[in-house]
Amino acid sequence: MRVDFFLPFLRKPKKGTEPAPPGRLARMARRILPSSWFADLQTGKPGLIRKTLKRIGPTWLSAPERRLVQSVCFIGYLVLFFYVCWPYSARPVPDVEGWPSHYTDELARKELVHAEFFLVIDPLVSLSTALASHSWVWSLSCAATILMVCIFIPRGFCGYLCPLGTLIDLFDWWIGSRFTRLRVGDDGWWVHIKYYLLLATGVAALCGVLISGFVAAIPVITRGLLLTLSPLQTGMERGWHQVPPFSAGHWISITLFGLVLGLGFLKPRFWCRYVCPSGAVFSLGNLFRVTERKVEQSCINCNKCVEICPFDAIKPDFTTRTTDCTLCQTCGGVCPTQAIKFVDRWDLVQLKTFNDPATHETALGRRGFLSAGIGLATGVAGGLGITSATTISGADLDNPNAWRPIRPPGSVPEQEFLQMCIRCGECFKACPNDVLQPLSFQQGLEGLWTPNVVANWAGCESSCNACTQVCPTGAIRAIPLAEKKVCRIGLAEINLQTCLPHAGREACQLCVDECHHAGYHAIEFTRVGTEVDAEGMPIEDSGFLAPVVLADKCVGCGLCQTRCYGINVADKHLLKESAVVIFAGDGKEDRLLTGSYQELRDDELKKRQSAKPVSPEMEDDGGYLPDFLK
Amino acid sequence: MSRMIMVGLMAVSMLSTAYGQAKPSSTKPGAKGTRAELDALVDRLGKTQPDWYKSTQVNYPTTLDLTWPMQAPQGGWNNQKNVGQFYWDVVNPNPGRWKEGVKLMHQLLTMHKDDPEKRERNMLALARMYHNLLEDYGRSAFWFRAAGVEKDPVEYASSAVILAECYWRLGFEAEARKLLEKVPSSVSHAKLLGDMGDTEAAIKMAMAEEDSQGYAFLAAGDACRHAGRYDEALKYYQKIIAIPVPAQNPPGRLVKNRGRAEANVAAIKSFELSDPAKVRDGTYKSSSQGYEAPVEVAVTVRSGKIESVKIVQHREKQFYSAMTDTPAKIISKQSVKGVDTTSNATITSEAIINATAKALAAAPK
Repeated sequence: MRVDFFLPFLRKPKKGTEPAPPGRLARMARRILPSSWFADLQTGKPGLIRKTLKRIGPTWLSAPERRLVQSVCFIGYLVLFFYVCWPYSARPVPDVEGWPSHYTDELARKELVHAEFFLVIDPLVSLSTALASHSWVWSLSCAATILMVCIFIPRGFCGYLCPLGTLIDLFDWWIGSRFTRLRVGDDGWWVHIKYYLLLATGVAALCGVLISGFVAAIPVITRGLLLTLSPLQTGMERGWHQVPPFSAGHWISITLFGLVLGLGFLKPRFWCRYVCPSGAVFSLGNLFRVTERKVEQSCINCNKCVEICPFDAIKPDFTTRTTDCTLCQTCGGVCPTQAIKFVDRWDLVQLKTFNDPATHETALGRRGFLSAGIGLATGVAGGLGITSATTISGADLDNPNAWRPIRPPGSVPEQEFLQMCIRCGECFKACPNDVLQPLSFQQGLEGLWTPNVVANWAGCESSCNACTQVCPTGAIRAIPLAEKKVCRIGLAEINLQTCLPHAGREACQLCVDECHHAGYHAIEFTRVGTEVDAEGMPIEDSGFLAPVVLADKCVGCGLCQTRCYGINVADKHLLKESAVVIFAGDGKEDRLLTGSYQELRDDELKKRQSAKPVSPEMEDDGGYLPDFLK
Repeated sequence: MSRMIMVGLMAVSMLSTAYGQAKPSSTKPGAKGTRAELDALVDRLGKTQPDWYKSTQVNYPTTLDLTWPMQAPQGGWNNQKNVGQFYWDVVNPNPGRWKEGVKLMHQLLTMHKDDPEKRERNMLALARMYHNLLEDYGRSAFWFRAAGVEKDPVEYASSAVILAECYWRLGFEAEARKLLEKVPSSVSHAKLLGDMGDTEAAIKMAMAEEDSQGYAFLAAGDACRHAGRYDEALKYYQKIIAIPVPAQNPPGRLVKNRGRAEANVAAIKSFELSDPAKVRDGTYKSSSQGYEAPVEVAVTVRSGKIESVKIVQHREKQFYSAMTDTPAKIISKQSVKGVDTTSNATITSEAIINATAKALAAAPK
């Protein structure tokens, strides 16, 4: 079995020998495309393709397919992030019959590939989520698929698919290579950090604390772009006033993202080689690989492969560090004797001898043992430390008075939510008007970067279920719009002391209008401050029409709060706080692991109807006509 | 009629000024129909449940005192306990609650059918709700008659005017006039006469009932405007504006009536300038006082024609029919002059016409 994707080094064949015949793909290409594009195998003169690739760079020349796949994946990731998860192309349908659904429809139209595609193929995302929540996470099947693929293309995810890896490649090429003062050597205590990080996140996950999202590859780049480029996109496309203000949590995440990229100053792809725990999952997966890089006897010890290897995966004797090799095959393309091949693991034909020249690498020396021991201990201690830190500075779920964030519609119960939310930030990106914004430390370390409805900023659009559709772990259940529209995320409460008509200050019906317009009809009028004359008769036009929330209809979308805040607080300065505020908590929100929200509402309706005492004599005709008129 | 009945009635008549804003739509209530036909129609409608009745659920707080005593409630205002106050505070302001409110009133009537006083009060309340809220004139007439309004139009003067209006709207103009002859004069009586086209009689009666809040002048002005006698209409509207408004605690109704009068004056004055043929192409916005708040319209003119009239903003809580009906009439007439106001939605309808006239008048020529 051969899995060669590289472009072999071109050289003039020795006199008297036939040049190696090109592969089947190359033969077909030669038949279709003009011959000037291809090299002359007899003279060893490069064709147009090689010349172009050479101009781009040596890695493109030696492994063009890999670079192409990387580019496609990176651009694909950016398209999914900046185009598919950009809800503002949705246009409301005028005079729509029934419930509007333009945000939902628009996302479905654009989602040829799931917006969360790259998140679900990061195996650490689903593995740690499943571990932390002790439950089946739907994206586990995607993780299994990619791990299966990576048995055939070991660590292929890191070499080919990972958009963070590609971004780091770009950073290293564009910025990192210009500033080399911080470069470190080839070996050091850091080389196994990724395993210890993986261990720490694993231990924490086993204890029910999910921190893998802080360091897993795709969540890191998603959150990084969300907090750096996404505000730019919003600002330039929609106006800078639409960019929500940054909190401490934002800055921490941006700093982390900067650190991840900045590691490139130490060494190109330092993050991927030594730190990335998602990469560590694949490294461990490599133990089960069926293909690998092999070096044949024809190796002339020229060291070109060692120099070009982006993953430090080639030992001084030019054989492979199999857990690090990503099968990028750049080495195959630079090898002047074509001694490197990518074949099945059990192919032992004509292999060069090991340890020649001597590598001085031992399986596990005293220092290695020590550092591995310390690393493992640190990993376990780190995991446990994080666990206890979140317990101390956590969500405090047992305390009914603890502050509760308002979660997106379809969120699983809070305990499970904290264990399943990977903090990738995809829901924030897909959310129209940035209703969802990342928490800082309001819920302690445990709630950091989890989504929270900021109703003062914007309310949840009735025609949208985007957040439920893009969650990679199922912390937000993928519910259809019909379910979302009846799923309660909180309950609006009116402050009778400050609400303008309730306080007798002036007429105001912003929240009522907003709620009717959204189609919930959950806020109605009541007349307050009615004055009565001397005979106890109400005086017409006295008092105000004031809002009342109907708890059985309110889903907590927060549109009313947005309106009250926007007009009465921010614009007119009549109030210090919105007089209608959404609160989450027991009995105010529906947090289900399974089951239908519509059924919940139907059951409630049945209960209400059966509880209503109907006078038996009125059962037949609803008490329409009294007997004497029949 | 006892004052105690009035307490109950007040509760369901919050929107009762609505009955004053009456005028038939373009489908003129014909002079057809005999007394027997009217009786048969009202009886048939009254005894049949409306189509929404069965599917509507009554909805009221369990704390509500369904005995609904005739005495004015003691112990302060409590809309979760006292039926009349519940209707005033909770049912009337919410169009979504009107049908369930009517159904509850039916059940209250059935519940108290053996108490003559409560029975009468509940039937009158039901009649007013059918008229004011649901614009269901057949059933309104049925319950007014059941309460005995037709038998004693002097005792039940204000109800009798509404009953006459119901007859007129049902297409029995002769019966309406016959009934009105027996009803004592009042401003609302004059208003109905004006709407029915008896301009002279309406003005005469309104002037005889002159009040301090401008209702009489408004009725007279509206009668003139309806008849196309704009100069006279302006004269009456100006009289309302001339009524001095006390700086301390200005009476709300006078202020409202002044607002309407001013809006009507502005509109009539702009009628001359509002010829769409002279207006440059474009979309023009303006607003005029409606029932609750200003109604804002956007008028689009293209090559001298009114292309569309859109209501951009309003706070009206009923009379939605005017929102589509009046713009359609303006477009078909290609003028704001002589457009019939929408049936039973005069104020809203007038506001739309006024705003359109203002927009056209202010548009560049």
